[in-house]
Amino acid sequence: MKTLFYLIFALSFSCSYSQPNCEAYRYYYKDTLKYEACKKAEQVEGHYQFSKEYQKILDESIKIDSTFAYAYARKSVAYLKSGDFITWKKLIDKAVKFNPQEYLGHRGYIRFLCFRDYKGAIKDLEKLDSLVNLDASYTLIGKDHLIIAKALCYKSIGEKEKAIEILEMHMNKEDYFVDLYDYLHLGVLYLEQKQYKKALQAFYKQSEDNELAENQFYLALTYKALKMPSNYIEHLKKAKNYILKEEKCFKLI
Amino acid sequence: MYKLVIYFTKTMAKNVILVLIICFFISCKSDKMANYQKEYLRHVGDIELDSLKDNNNFKTCNGDDKVFQYFNLGNGPVYVGEKSALLRTFQTKYKPVLNKNQNGLIRIRFIVNCEGQAGRFRVLQSDSNFNETKFDEKIVSQLTEITKGIKDWVILYNKNDNPIDYYFYLVFKIDDGKILEILP
Repeated sequence: MKTLFYLIFALSFSCSYSQPNCEAYRYYYKDTLKYEACKKAEQVEGHYQFSKEYQKILDESIKIDSTFAYAYARKSVAYLKSGDFITWKKLIDKAVKFNPQEYLGHRGYIRFLCFRDYKGAIKDLEKLDSLVNLDASYTLIGKDHLIIAKALCYKSIGEKEKAIEILEMHMNKEDYFVDLYDYLHLGVLYLEQKQYKKALQAFYKQSEDNELAENQFYLALTYKALKMPSNYIEHLKKAKNYILKEEKCFKLI
Repeated sequence: MYKLVIYFTKTMAKNVILVLIICFFISCKSDKMANYQKEYLRHVGDIELDSLKDNNNFKTCNGDDKVFQYFNLGNGPVYVGEKSALLRTFQTKYKPVLNKNQNGLIRIRFIVNCEGQAGRFRVLQSDSNFNETKFDEKIVSQLTEITKGIKDWVILYNKNDNPIDYYFYLVFKIDDGKILEILP
């Protein structure tokens, strides 16, 4: 049941960009220019995002309304995927400029995930936090909660205590929904900070919620640090079994 | 008469200035529009053959209009000998060009054909803020030559088990002239 929940939840956020509701521009925002730009952008459906037809339709959408952030964001995806980070950045910057609440999180997450630009990602996510409740935001791609992503960025620049603080504060909230890998991330941080008891607690929680080969591996490392060789070997073997069967392996997207 | 000439001269000058201002704004708008109305190739990122700089012996197997992206078949990036082999190659062959001003990203994009051979290498360089830049040529040429020197890339197959041609790329994160990371 939990797996089904996670699957549905993840799938609902798995599309790169969901089509905005054009009618909202017309009836709610009374913005006919954006409505027309949106209707034009809808015509990309059926075209491959790398194709010139796709790109040209979005150019026409931008021509109708040069502040239509969605069109820039959608254009940017093909450039990102082809490794043209220069054009990607120019386009996503436009999207962020015209709709920061919608696209700052995405730009921040891509900086973290694709370019290991941790400081840039932190800047984007903290800017977003100042605009909206980051806790209610999810990335449009990948499974990580933006707050988890921010914690991982702090971890990557060596501020592990800060990363732990972010994760603990977030995961202790009453309305917190356990995501697929949260306890794994927390456990690894505890392990790296030599907080072995807390690390074990986190890894066992991870096992309960969503067992992973990586989780068993880090459990093994914790027992190794605690000089408990039989536990170390036991969990290492479990990790190996999962990996050899290609089961229960961490997947980013 | 003299006053009439002065009057007409001043009026004409004003009109000329007005026309020039209007032309300026029109050309600005055109430039803005032109940025998003360029001519596109079949797909974003397509690499056309440049007979002057490309190895003319390298050929796509299925035609230039049928080159996939490496992720089109649902898998992530794959390397012969796993990524660790690629990292070892660059660790052993790349000689850092130590310079605190050499920071940013260098992308080398290329086609891998159905025989696992690579060709049509294209380089993109940016600083740490993703603005186009030019690195020290010693860095770029090393990375390009090492990449070109990798003889075997993974052959990918479509659902009919036919080998395909695909685009692939390596992104080098450069920090003070050293390779910090190789993505993806």
